[in-house]
Amino acid sequence: MSVSRDEMARRLGIDPSIESATRRRFVKLLGASAALAGLDGCTRMPASNILPYVDQPELTPGVPQYYATSMVLDGFATGLLVESHEGRPTKVEGNPDHPASLGAAGVYEQASVLQLYDPHRAWQVRHEKSAASWSELAAALAPASLRSRVGARGERLALLLEPTSSPLERELIDRVRGLYPAAHVHFYAPLGLLADAFVPQYDLREADVIVAIDADFLASGPFHLRRARQFAERRRPESARGMSRCYAIEASVTPTGMAADHRFAMRPGELVPVLERLSGALGGATSGTSQSASGDAWIASIARDLRAHAGRSVVIAGPYLPYRAQALAVQINQTLKNVGRTIWFTRSTLLGAGDPRASLGPLVDALRAGQIDTLICAGGNPAYASAAGHDLGGLLRRVRQSVYLGLYENETARECTWMVPASHYLEHWGDARAYDGTLSLVQPLIEPLHGGKTTSELLSLVLGAPDARSYDLVRESWRRGGGIGTGAEFDDGWRHVLGRGVVDGSAFAPESSPPPAAAAATPAIDSGTMDIAFRPHARVHDGTFANNAWLQELPDPITTLTWENAAQISPTTARRLGIVDGDILALQAAGRSVRLPAVAIAGHPDDAVTVHFGYGRDGAERVARGLGVSVYPVWPGDRFSTRANVSRVADAPRRDLAMTQTHRTLESSAPARLVTQQEYAQLPPSPRRRMLTLYEPAVSLPDPPAPTQWGMTIDLGACIGCGACTVACQAENNVPVVGREDVRRGREMHWLRIDWYAPADGQPSSLSQPMLCQHCEKAPCEYVCPVEATVHSRDGLNEMIYNRCVGTRFCSNNCPYKVRRFNWFDYSEKLTDGEQLVQNPDVTVRERGVMEKCTFCVQRIRQAEIAARVAGRPLRSTDVETACQQACPTRAIVFGSIAEPGSEVARERASPRAYAVLEDLGTEPRVLYLARVRNPNPDIERRS
Amino acid sequence: MDVALAPLDRTPGLWIVLVSACALGTLVWIVSIAYTVGVGIGTWGNNVPVAWAFGIINFVWWIGIGHAGTFISAFLLLLNQPWRASIGRMAEAMTVIALAIAATFPLLHLGRPWFAHWLVPYPSTMGVWPNFKSALPWDVAAIASYFLVSVVFFYLGLVPDLATARDRLDGRLRRQIYGVFALGWNSAGRQWRRRRAALKMIAAVAAMLVVSVHSIVSLDFSIAQVSGWHSTLFPPYFVIGAIYSGLAMVLALAVPIRRAYRLERIMTLDDLERLSTLLLTVGLLLAYCYVVELFLSSQSSDPRERAIHLVHWPFGPYARMYWTMLALNVGAPQLFWSRRLRRNTTALFGASIAILIGMWLERFVIVVSSLSRDGLPAHWHDYTPTWVDAGLLLGSLSVFGLCFLLFLRFVPPVALSELRRDRFEHTERHA
Repeated sequence: MSVSRDEMARRLGIDPSIESATRRRFVKLLGASAALAGLDGCTRMPASNILPYVDQPELTPGVPQYYATSMVLDGFATGLLVESHEGRPTKVEGNPDHPASLGAAGVYEQASVLQLYDPHRAWQVRHEKSAASWSELAAALAPASLRSRVGARGERLALLLEPTSSPLERELIDRVRGLYPAAHVHFYAPLGLLADAFVPQYDLREADVIVAIDADFLASGPFHLRRARQFAERRRPESARGMSRCYAIEASVTPTGMAADHRFAMRPGELVPVLERLSGALGGATSGTSQSASGDAWIASIARDLRAHAGRSVVIAGPYLPYRAQALAVQINQTLKNVGRTIWFTRSTLLGAGDPRASLGPLVDALRAGQIDTLICAGGNPAYASAAGHDLGGLLRRVRQSVYLGLYENETARECTWMVPASHYLEHWGDARAYDGTLSLVQPLIEPLHGGKTTSELLSLVLGAPDARSYDLVRESWRRGGGIGTGAEFDDGWRHVLGRGVVDGSAFAPESSPPPAAAAATPAIDSGTMDIAFRPHARVHDGTFANNAWLQELPDPITTLTWENAAQISPTTARRLGIVDGDILALQAAGRSVRLPAVAIAGHPDDAVTVHFGYGRDGAERVARGLGVSVYPVWPGDRFSTRANVSRVADAPRRDLAMTQTHRTLESSAPARLVTQQEYAQLPPSPRRRMLTLYEPAVSLPDPPAPTQWGMTIDLGACIGCGACTVACQAENNVPVVGREDVRRGREMHWLRIDWYAPADGQPSSLSQPMLCQHCEKAPCEYVCPVEATVHSRDGLNEMIYNRCVGTRFCSNNCPYKVRRFNWFDYSEKLTDGEQLVQNPDVTVRERGVMEKCTFCVQRIRQAEIAARVAGRPLRSTDVETACQQACPTRAIVFGSIAEPGSEVARERASPRAYAVLEDLGTEPRVLYLARVRNPNPDIERRS
Repeated sequence: MDVALAPLDRTPGLWIVLVSACALGTLVWIVSIAYTVGVGIGTWGNNVPVAWAFGIINFVWWIGIGHAGTFISAFLLLLNQPWRASIGRMAEAMTVIALAIAATFPLLHLGRPWFAHWLVPYPSTMGVWPNFKSALPWDVAAIASYFLVSVVFFYLGLVPDLATARDRLDGRLRRQIYGVFALGWNSAGRQWRRRRAALKMIAAVAAMLVVSVHSIVSLDFSIAQVSGWHSTLFPPYFVIGAIYSGLAMVLALAVPIRRAYRLERIMTLDDLERLSTLLLTVGLLLAYCYVVELFLSSQSSDPRERAIHLVHWPFGPYARMYWTMLALNVGAPQLFWSRRLRRNTTALFGASIAILIGMWLERFVIVVSSLSRDGLPAHWHDYTPTWVDAGLLLGSLSVFGLCFLLFLRFVPPVALSELRRDRFEHTERHA
């Protein structure tokens, strides 16, 4: 749905013409280079008082403000700072004060700002097929009328909510229960961690040995940013406390497995037996179910390593493992006396966690039995994202009155009688807890673009107060809760939280006693030829982000596939089935079947398939529609692996998959380096030498050089290939999206990409390498440009002058790193007026036919220069952070002046691990990489 | 003499058929150009790393073809080879047309062709000059001068024949038009003398340009660091390849024309045999270049360069192109060791077409095969052309055909004056 400028202006409630502005104001704004789209945003400041993150002067046109807020996913908050240009949020950063972020932001958080401006969002309250209003809904759900339908005690009323940790929502749900004591309240998200009332917390900085069993703790799940940071701190050989050692035993290939020192691929069905054997080897109680001899040598080695580091090790069981595995992991950690050191337990922050009555199953039963008259579904997309066995869509259709609150007219909205557009988290007030219980505020940066409502407002409507606003609801709830005081000190506390984004010291205390052993579920008997693992998709999660073009085009970290999902199998299995990438596989389970293209990846266990949720959408989201295949139809719903019959569909045409990388071998140039600790110790500490040359430099550097010389180092030991840097760069630099067809052709525009390499043939591609413009001192691109459109700056940047470029593309040919991007089409032309609002006004939007590439975030450098000049002090290394550096959860990217003695980048450049990619070409890159150091277990290494 | 002037006097049915076909192809060309300029280079198959593909391949191929005319006329004129007279005119016309077509490709190939003039050194208000370190402004200069010289050379040779047409043909309008283009030529001895001197002088310049133009075009590649491009062999290698394809095109055109216009007595089998001998010689030189290129790269200290020549070209995604190229370029001229085949017009025509295809493939291998495996292995990517790429290639062939057919119809296709002079000198010598 493309929205015209006038239509947008009408909806935004402002005058589309600029005649109303005075000439003076107009010129002022022009002078500030504010785009017209920027002007549209001017009036969108929320009416309620919101506070910038730190004390900043009054709003100056052209100077962005930062506000603290939180984004909630599956009930867990991640604290953020959001950049706002004249009232228009454009960029999401992490909040350093929030425990889930520590200053970093993941791909979902980074890309969520695009969702805000998504032109396909629902914007109209709808009843059946006609437009309706909030007040009509209020009339329909008013206690007086609702009671007559659902009974005085509300026994025919059901609430289906997304997992939530919000104290406000808890309070409102309690009040709804007070009004309708018999109402059914359920929480559901396909990946919601609702099974346990107690959850493990880890401190990976304390762990010398980490054993991850099917746990992708670095790149998915709540707190993954924090864990990645902690993990990376102990992965640098320079670390004062020594390198940690990580073993990953996993059923699918994950970034965690790729970062581990040892990785063992197991079918999902083999994981519990492995844990049992490990537990046995550690002297724990074995159930005696499996005593395989041959494969146990490595388990014994791991056990020895764990025992040697008792109290300083941790065994992490992934969230998708059955109860039995979780219990075993707890038991092993107890045996090793790790509990209280590297691992401890807290209550879950989620409402209804560990309560089977609050899960989806009982609601499905009630719906089947026709016991529900009115269902209120807030958030999520259960009709799509639930096991097909439930047929939730069909059940919803049969409910006489159903209300759906959501961002989109999606599969669930379609089945409901009422649709209420939800507000985006950047548009509303709310509160939420992080995984460890830390409470934070959700603070809006912009008035709801489409009049969206929050879950709290919907619940309040059910309570008979349809006009309550989320701002008042949160404030009143917090005042009553008393967490930040009541009365006068409340306002101070409130202001403090608005500024910092978090309530200090609100994390849950560790539980003194270990959690009760989880209920032993009877293992399900599945039949089929192969194990299937169901996993969240790294880019669209459970389908929540399927309409986000940034995420669709962000290559999957393992397959580099974009714009769709594929069944992952091992190369051996692929050979056995006689298939190559893109051939279609049929997966049959539970009487249903799905067909999706296969992709073979080294490191995947044989005779197993990994599939990902989130695709095959058919709601009104235009981007997501028709992409990929939904695997929910074959998902059992209560566990994340099953057995299925897998066969090749011979008559289906091969699918041409849009993968950004098809070669994973290092070849002779060995761009990514991996050494063991022993080899690291022998590396010469000599500084890098410059190549001697007989020739004058082809590129003459501007003279005299500036005192600041920008450079970057990227630590391959810390990089986990999550892709947060790529999205951060996309958001900061207005990098366009090109679509599936052009990705397939090799035209993706990312200024920063992640290259993956296999250290040796047949091994998984475990080396991730962020690749961006290397800002070569002797840049091959510069001397071949016929019109001097790419030149060197005095402070060492390789600069691209868009309006001088004629587009010969010679620079791209001559770039050995292939980091230059060409505007094959006019990509920005396709954006709707609404989507234009997300563009960063500090960065030029490029036109068709010109080259572009990483600029080292030159706009940030120049801003910092101006600020330093105004303050009358020299520019320092720490004054500038690039977008990629800022987003990186592991702090793998360091940026600064290489000419400043003692700067972090200068220090890292002197490391024996530092090297330049394609050093032999003599390009003298300003980006150096630090080789990854492995810390393998000598026992296992010797045997293999 | 009338045989040579006869084509100007009639419109054969076949000519009309061919012109219509070429006009249709020209329409495809125009549509492809409009689509490219209107929508963007994205309509082509190019990508990163293969940022150059059909556009540059076609450019180099056409430029190469544009070498034969001047080579034959200028070199052979300076070397006093009288047999060139029969085919010289045709070859020169071919050169001019091929050059004009070649020049369209780098223009279309630009992301923003409306700024193409920025490659020309002129004192602009922006105060920015082209970057003279880049080979592309050299290219502009080399091609522009070669084109100008070729046009002048062609036209200078043409003037007396236009005068003959003016004098001999019927029809007032036709005579007026030829009269205008004949520039008042009246066959005065002084005119002949000056024309001859001018031709010799321009021939001397043009002969140097024949060598320099494709040398400079080759520098577009060899100044880059791309493995497979970065080689000092390129200038001679490209010049030889250019002459090779140009001669092949001359033969491919001469064979059907001499038959259609019954010019067998003018373009004799002896002439064709000489051309084919030349083709064999140049073909052997080119084969030698291939060997040298392989040898040099196998001795390279850069493993990437070794990999390009020893792995990616012969066994990579475009291996079929590579082996076909070798078979056509090296294999086809070997026919001409046989005198019988040298005098067999069908064999000559077939071999010429094979060489033309082979030379196009050679540019494909150099440009696409190298780029698709350049730089970091993570960013290797293959290339597939689109219909627009094909439309531009086929369209350019049609435009060439159309222009050449018009040339045949309206311009004396053999140099009457030269033939006349040769015959006169011949008679005099025998008298």
